[in-house]
Amino acid sequence: MSVASDQLIDRLTSELGTDSVITDRATLEAHAVDGLVPRAVCSPGDAAQVAAAIRVCGEAGAAIAPRGGGTAVALGNVPHRVDVVLRTDRLAALVEHDDANLTATMEAGMTLAHLQTHLAQRGQLLPLDPPRPDRATIGGIVAASTNGARRMFYGGVRDLVIGMKMVLPGGEQVKAGGKVVKNVAGYDMCKLFVGSLGTLGIITEVTCKMTPLPERALTIIARDGGSTAEGSGAFRLIDALFASTLQPSAIAVLSPRAGELVRAGGPGVATAVAVEGFTEAVDRHVRDITGMAAAAGLSAEVLEGPAHERLWAAVADFPRSREGEALVRLTVPPGAVATAVDALSRVDDSPVYVAHAGAGTIWIGVEAARAATVFAALTSVAGAQHGHAVLASAPPEVKRGLDVWGSPPPALSIMREIKQRFDPQQLLNPGRFVAFL
Amino acid sequence: MKVMDRRTLVARLREVVGAPHVLTRPEDLVVYEQDAFLVAHASPDIVVLPGAAAEVGTVIALARAAGVPVIARGAGTGLNGGSIPVAGGLMLVLTRMNRILEIDARSRLAVVEPGVVNIDLSAASARDGLFYAPDPGSQGVSTIGGNVGNNAGGPHCLAYGVTGNHVLGMEVVLSSGEIMTVGSPAVDAPGYDLAGLLVGSEGTLGVITRITVRLLRQAEAVRTLLAVFETIDDASQTVSEVIAAGIVPTAMEMIDAVVMRAVEAAIHAGYPADAGAVLLIEVEGHVQALPGLMERIAAVAKRHRPRVLRQANSARERELLWKGRKEGAGALGRLAPSYYLHDGVVPRTKLPEVMAKVAAIARTHGLVIGNLFHAGDGNLHPTILFDPRQPGMLARVVQAGEEILRACVAAGGSITGEHGVGIEKREYMRWLFTEADLQAMRRVKDAFDPTGLLNPGKLLPDVMSSGAQADVKSPAFSVRPRAGLWS
Repeated sequence: MSVASDQLIDRLTSELGTDSVITDRATLEAHAVDGLVPRAVCSPGDAAQVAAAIRVCGEAGAAIAPRGGGTAVALGNVPHRVDVVLRTDRLAALVEHDDANLTATMEAGMTLAHLQTHLAQRGQLLPLDPPRPDRATIGGIVAASTNGARRMFYGGVRDLVIGMKMVLPGGEQVKAGGKVVKNVAGYDMCKLFVGSLGTLGIITEVTCKMTPLPERALTIIARDGGSTAEGSGAFRLIDALFASTLQPSAIAVLSPRAGELVRAGGPGVATAVAVEGFTEAVDRHVRDITGMAAAAGLSAEVLEGPAHERLWAAVADFPRSREGEALVRLTVPPGAVATAVDALSRVDDSPVYVAHAGAGTIWIGVEAARAATVFAALTSVAGAQHGHAVLASAPPEVKRGLDVWGSPPPALSIMREIKQRFDPQQLLNPGRFVAFL
Repeated sequence: MKVMDRRTLVARLREVVGAPHVLTRPEDLVVYEQDAFLVAHASPDIVVLPGAAAEVGTVIALARAAGVPVIARGAGTGLNGGSIPVAGGLMLVLTRMNRILEIDARSRLAVVEPGVVNIDLSAASARDGLFYAPDPGSQGVSTIGGNVGNNAGGPHCLAYGVTGNHVLGMEVVLSSGEIMTVGSPAVDAPGYDLAGLLVGSEGTLGVITRITVRLLRQAEAVRTLLAVFETIDDASQTVSEVIAAGIVPTAMEMIDAVVMRAVEAAIHAGYPADAGAVLLIEVEGHVQALPGLMERIAAVAKRHRPRVLRQANSARERELLWKGRKEGAGALGRLAPSYYLHDGVVPRTKLPEVMAKVAAIARTHGLVIGNLFHAGDGNLHPTILFDPRQPGMLARVVQAGEEILRACVAAGGSITGEHGVGIEKREYMRWLFTEADLQAMRRVKDAFDPTGLLNPGKLLPDVMSSGAQADVKSPAFSVRPRAGLWS
């Protein structure tokens, strides 16, 4: 390191103020990334301070790990270095909610739960379903591209973000997109930053499309009671859904053990179908889906109100990292979910999974001790279906032996060029992204 | 850079793609000197029509060795001049690569070559009850490759999103000639979202040779409402209030009096010729749900004293109403010798205010401006009618257009919602973006195409020299005169 710790901390303190640069042992340890304890944790109060902090780190050659609520801190490879954790907790304001335009602009550190509370008062929501919405921040959700159950209906993070402001590793404050729902002025830089995991810049502000709160929302949960081969009834129901004109907002297939975790009740494989919209449309869905479930040999039950909300909160929370456990995210084309789930049972006797059958994302919980083996097996499963397996969370000792993103993407050379041009000093989350970028 | 002799290059190109697919005679090249941006043109030096990605790769490698720019082109329906070879060079016309390679109905996706015509994909998916959602006005002729290059929109993007929301992955030939896959048929491919970046990059980052797109399920039922208002302000207020009421129809299109009169004269779509504006509102969904939805929309419209509120009662009537919308621009051609179709976006809450400004700008310049546009998205298409033979007219048209776009920017909007930047709006990029913002985009360009081989002179303005005014206004679409690459 080119600059001694106390000098770096002095410089940060002079830019941000004493209260915004924390160096006590307990705080530093609480902000470790994969066991790497930073030298300082800082909380800039505005974008200009973010820029100042980045410049100081750049001059000192100090590596920065940006951090929102810390809910995705387990995602990615073990970083090469972590010198400063840069938090967005003081950038937590709602900048503008243009409710009649169905758009809102938030500072990056605003939690999703806080935003949803505000939006609900005006009859709207941002249809994203990350784990721990009370802690997950808008900036973090965008940087990690944390998608959830309702993606099949509302689109993913990349579809909902229409503008952002970022601070680049050289300290430049830039913006991308705007606050209109259609915009083709120049390269779509929002797409580059969604899912870039803090490796290209620090997001300080995000503008998203909102959606009206549905008039009615409920769940049809269909169970096989453990009677059929793993999930076969569930996928008969899902095939029927896909062959129809129905438009559920989410479809989650829960393995028996995952069903226990989310307290979906009842033995066997459960299929939860969320339906949202105007009353007449929801009623029609209940009628048709109940019929399809019966035809697939499943028993169906309708969950409304708190039971509906609890179920989906638990489903959203399933992919959170847990002590001593690892988590694999398998993505495949929606039509290949059944095949992939079938393959899971050959990898694990009693797999713990939640499959978002509409989007093609399957979350699989694994014991840490078996994580490397299971991840390798699931990588083959993904490859056979033109999909991807990512070891989304695991203890650092497991992660060190592999690339959690799987084999290098085919366009790695361009990704490397982009990283090099945005962050030539390797300041931001070095080593954490694909192929240790 | 060593410049390959023209004769040698042409001979090599003929070996790669076959002699009939290399055009060099002026009378063949002239076809490719223009797109739908009618006010500029420039001829390519050579046109090549490749038949496969490997050919594209070899052609680009040859062009690179020869130091000749490469410009990709689909059907040439682009409205920003993006396919005009302003610096000459080799044009890659991708219309021969027009196969639909796969339709996976269960996964609701299709794999197509770039030259597939937009509407042909929807037609081919219809047997599985599916369709391809982006529906630009040009969809009967424009190619999916061109749509992807420009991130094309269309009336139904209000509910379904623009092209970028429907592209999952692609195969792209880089400026090195290397063929690369980005994105994938499964979501969340690890790494940066390069497929997302390539959509709307106007052929400046790579040449797309294969695209994986999402297909959607056709709705069970559709209802179309015609609402006729006395003033454009009433129509604009209705649009803003429908959105504010939490209703996002599938499409919400506005047609003003100027366009209505032209359409009626041309095709008799059933629009009253003396009203202020028409809204065409469409909702899709299930038979049980649509009547209630239509009632809610009608209730909003009724607050603005509509002269007529009528549902299309048959598929034929619906088609006729849409025909009026889709052929509106063409019908405008009857009113004046030429027209300039603009494309700006504003937050939907600002529609009434900005529409009033557009009318004021027309009055100030003594111009007739027709409006037919995607009101639900806030995506304006003011169309300036003019006679280019009148002295000084073009300058007034350009001036009025710039004032309209500035009004959009001032209202928190953008200089283009779906037509793109091309050569038309390069300089206007500075109205939206700082030099630092633009520099970030240039880093992307440099990462993909460090030597600037691909579609030079498009999308990004040149680097601002230090000390220059940030608000420079220069002729938006001057095409540099040039002596030809080999002369």
